[in-house]
Amino acid sequence: MKEYKVIGQSVRRLDAVEKATGTAGFTSDMKLPGMLYGKVLRSPHPHARIVGIDTSEAEKLPGVKAVATYKNTPRELFNTSATMTFTVPPMLPVLDQYIFDNVVRYVGDEVAAVAATSEKIAEAALGLIKVEYELLPAVYDPKEALTPGAPVIHESEKKNIPGEIIQIPYGDVDKGFTESDIIIEKEFKLPVQKQAQMETQAAVAQVGLDGKITVWSTTQTPHPTKMILSKVFSIPESKIRVLNPPYIGGGFGVRIGCSAKAEPIAVALSMLAKKPVKVVYSRKEDFIASDTRHGGYVSVKLGAKKDGAFHAMYLKATLNGGAYCSFSVETPGVLGCMGLAVYRVPNQLYYGHSVYTNTTPAGAMRGFGNPQAMYAIESVVDMMAEKLGMDPLKLRLKNIMQVGDPWVLPYRCGSTGLAECIEKGAKSIGWENRGKLNKPGARKLRGIGMGVGTHVSNAWPFCGDYDNAYITVQQDGSVHLASGVPDMGTGTSTSLPQLVAEVVGVGLDQVSMTFADTASTPFDIGSHASRTLYAAGTAVVEAARDVRKQVLEYAADLFKVAPERLVLQDGVISAASQDAGAVGDNCSGAPVCKIGGVEKKSITLKELAYDAHLRNKQFIGVGRIVPDNAPPWHAHFAEVEVDTELCQVRVLKVAAVHDVGKAIHPVICEGQIEGGVLQGIGYALSEEIKYDEKGRQLENSFHKYMLLTADDVPEIEAMLVESNDPTGPFGAKGVGECGLVPTAPAIVNAIYDATGIRFYEIPVTEEKIFKALKEHVK
Amino acid sequence: MNLKILKFTLNGEPIEITVSPDDMLVDVLRDKLELTGTKKGCGKGECGACTVIINGEAVNSCLVPAMKTMGANVETIEGIGSPEKFHPVQEAFMDLGAIQCGFCTPGMIMSAKALLDKTTSPTSKEIKRSLSGNICRCTGYVKIEEAVQAAAEKMREKQ
Amino acid sequence: MLQDYLFPETISEAVSFLQNNEGQARIIAGGTDLLLDIPEGKVKTNCLVDINRISELKKITMEDGVIYIGAAVTHNQVAGSELIQEKAAALACAASCVGSHQVRNSATVAGNVCNAQPAADTAVALVALGATVEIATPDGTQYALVEKTYAGVGKSTIDSTCQLVTRVSFPAARKNQGTAFVRLHQRNALALPMLNVAVMVELAGGRFKWARICMAPVGPGPMRALSAEQALKDAEITPEVIEKASRAVLEHANPRNSALRGSKEYRTSVLPVLVRRALEQAVANAGGTCN
Repeated sequence: MKEYKVIGQSVRRLDAVEKATGTAGFTSDMKLPGMLYGKVLRSPHPHARIVGIDTSEAEKLPGVKAVATYKNTPRELFNTSATMTFTVPPMLPVLDQYIFDNVVRYVGDEVAAVAATSEKIAEAALGLIKVEYELLPAVYDPKEALTPGAPVIHESEKKNIPGEIIQIPYGDVDKGFTESDIIIEKEFKLPVQKQAQMETQAAVAQVGLDGKITVWSTTQTPHPTKMILSKVFSIPESKIRVLNPPYIGGGFGVRIGCSAKAEPIAVALSMLAKKPVKVVYSRKEDFIASDTRHGGYVSVKLGAKKDGAFHAMYLKATLNGGAYCSFSVETPGVLGCMGLAVYRVPNQLYYGHSVYTNTTPAGAMRGFGNPQAMYAIESVVDMMAEKLGMDPLKLRLKNIMQVGDPWVLPYRCGSTGLAECIEKGAKSIGWENRGKLNKPGARKLRGIGMGVGTHVSNAWPFCGDYDNAYITVQQDGSVHLASGVPDMGTGTSTSLPQLVAEVVGVGLDQVSMTFADTASTPFDIGSHASRTLYAAGTAVVEAARDVRKQVLEYAADLFKVAPERLVLQDGVISAASQDAGAVGDNCSGAPVCKIGGVEKKSITLKELAYDAHLRNKQFIGVGRIVPDNAPPWHAHFAEVEVDTELCQVRVLKVAAVHDVGKAIHPVICEGQIEGGVLQGIGYALSEEIKYDEKGRQLENSFHKYMLLTADDVPEIEAMLVESNDPTGPFGAKGVGECGLVPTAPAIVNAIYDATGIRFYEIPVTEEKIFKALKEHVK
Repeated sequence: MNLKILKFTLNGEPIEITVSPDDMLVDVLRDKLELTGTKKGCGKGECGACTVIINGEAVNSCLVPAMKTMGANVETIEGIGSPEKFHPVQEAFMDLGAIQCGFCTPGMIMSAKALLDKTTSPTSKEIKRSLSGNICRCTGYVKIEEAVQAAAEKMREKQ
Repeated sequence: MLQDYLFPETISEAVSFLQNNEGQARIIAGGTDLLLDIPEGKVKTNCLVDINRISELKKITMEDGVIYIGAAVTHNQVAGSELIQEKAAALACAASCVGSHQVRNSATVAGNVCNAQPAADTAVALVALGATVEIATPDGTQYALVEKTYAGVGKSTIDSTCQLVTRVSFPAARKNQGTAFVRLHQRNALALPMLNVAVMVELAGGRFKWARICMAPVGPGPMRALSAEQALKDAEITPEVIEKASRAVLEHANPRNSALRGSKEYRTSVLPVLVRRALEQAVANAGGTCN
């Protein structure tokens, strides 16, 4: 195997010093001269028409500089998510939002906004805005919203289905079931999970008198966000600059596109007030008025032959899209594709869509439909194993996708380390102890379960995906990378420079990176879809190769040898000497280069770059790529303890094994997995936003929303498998989202192993266990 | 508005500043003193991003009226280390992968420092409990706990 | 809108500051509840009287077998006190469960009582310990049992606009006495209890001499399980007796349906389990530690 110098090394992250000292820049820390503070008035009703709105008292309050409503802001339909910028025909993006509308469709929907000289004044002004609402009937459950006579949430979509219904046929599913020996069919109910990233949605907008707009924000996609703002405000994209400052306090999908509506509201207020305006969502606003994961229903019908070979699968999803579309078309698409891609099943069908309801819009959250699919599928696979009398681990090994197997996806299954993941995870958890953990009569029952899955390494084929990067060698030989992709915590600003250092042949300390700024980087679709290292990384590698080629060609002239004979390593260029007798070789056998009148056997990149500079040249490498795609694979194993008296589950251990292709920075990979696992445990057991009868979100704060704290962490063993995908940079595949894809089913399967009770609805709360145990005793 | 003169020690330096009785410490630090290392994640004492150390104890600066710190010794992330001399907790967080998005990091480091100022031999449970008011949504806390252990070990060696 | 922030140095000064402001001022100790209530308009005040400079309020002491906790003593100071751990384990445990580490470094035990939330952990423990609050008022010092300070959900008989709790006191557990606190919650920090139970027992010759059982949130404040206590009086210490008494607590428990923290049915079903576990713990390790 090739020895690498920089990649594969868990170097200190390049953003570590700033972040550890509190000097790292975040949107919420920004302050500009004359800056105003924006606050948003939100609907207290789940569905209502605004029949009167009086802002005069608010405008009179000293310190108030602007009040924005649907009356004085652009009436341009848009979609806060980036879907409107990269949906590829014949699919069309669903545009169903205004900055402010005269109809509100969920509790928290935007009604008006105020810019004032302080947050307190802006807050006070909100209380002076008089709004008269005409209440409209509301609906919260997607199945109810599909029934005839249900309230229509958008007049353009009478059936309450945003965009297209996704249907993926593969083989002949009816025939498949007819030929199956055993069929299991179950429906699962899924909760609304929240990203709960640490920095709330935020934007600072500055509208210049020359009409140029600069927006610092928490977006995960600066370039697409620039496109959205251009459409909404009818301003050329070249006059809009969107950037992170440069860090974002987490994302997990919540700001693929705009940061909820922070950017458009800040721009609208800044236009009205002619001053910079900062909008930072409160934590409550972030919970109730910024995209969530899709809840809803997923059903699985699985048919198998007696020997355990899967033969047919019908997967169906009815997701709760909430009040606006956001990513409600793509999410069921990914759900279906990922659900069908894990196992070799010759006959498959997927049917899925979202449904509008009067709840907070659902959009992208880490996993993007995949965790929903795999909770259901992996539960049914366990049930199938039981019915077949087979070890569920062996049943999976028998059916999992192999390299080159045909599947529903339009790219190749080019690598899989899933079998190795399963093997390692089983060893770590002690799979052989499954079923032998409990003494008769015990009140606390232990159990072991597993789940597997795959994912994507970029957004294609669900939307357009291409990437660009350029690399300049500075005049002192140090190397600068410009990539449009943000670093929302996933380590992009370290791992991409690692690729550059490796490819160019310089130390990582010589590389720096500008990122997430539309004015100084080429187009990139952002950090999401586990794509950053794979897709942006592919562009970076190409740019690095390009710049290296230019450097070596230039050096070849000086050495008077073919560029292929030159080596650039650790920032030093020299020629291989074994090829004695080639043109330009001196008598000792190694070529020399003449620079500044001195003959040298090697030359540093620093010397070379300055020499080039004096001869009016800079090395500029460009990478412009359309990525392939590659499947990451993962197997999670969980051990749980169920207190049957208190009806509580405690996770004792999760072994999470991930095929990441190639770990460019192993510690970052592990960190992604460990963080994902904890979110996965929350998804399985405690995290959920529920609604009361008035459409209000019950869990609207960290105190009420039960994500796990440091004191709740079980043993998590994150392990890496490297299958070296042929399409990824140095073999790397996506990892970011994968950490929570198979966690919930591993836990739910472990609970079944412990108690004999299967849960068809997550999170498995105390309440659900209580009810199930009561049923079970009957 | 009845403004008050507040005097306290901030990162070893005496501070005298005019505040309103309803100003919270987090806002005085971030807006008036422009020390934005202390983050605001919820404003309700539910996430720990704003953790500072007052008289040796980690507290949520969003729930502390600035006036309450009259005469107190306040430490923030800006005061505990720098590239010239990092605090062992900062060093360990940087080297062991305990930092991802970085938004919880200052508060997390302050909670860890407050713990290690009291004991350099914390148990795993003590670390978990001491950090349980600091929400981190990125790391799963695994590498954070490892970093605190490593920093403790370094501090023990120095003693 | 807050106009003033005062630092009395003595108890009488604090009381007179309150008097001078004629109901517009309010005591602040930790402030972790108060400072959430003020912006939300739940509490209206224009002056805070900070009692953290009054040195006698910052002490935990024991005199003649009675433990005194000053009104400015924080949860973490109580939880970390060896005296409390040894002589009132239930309280040490309760204090260690509240909010988060940071909240416990600010929030005071006396404040937990004054705030009068139905399931205030330390209040539940204090009721089981038979604790009394000492209240400085313009008319002199008054005393009240903690369990008598609840005037409804979130309502205390102690009026923080004119009165100041100075300390909380309770008898230290003796050798044949044991206390315990158990708590049901959805995560180990930053969570209100779904249920909490504190008990204190005195044993003599294989029998319960008496027991005090307090539980929440099953009523407007911490609730005593009087019939269960009665059932344990002079009863033999057997699993059956404990089981029976644990079930008897339901006579005094009326948990409500909470969409966030469990249905009435669920909480009714598991409350006896918690009581049983608390009783077993209290019996087993008289004066031992929690967890």
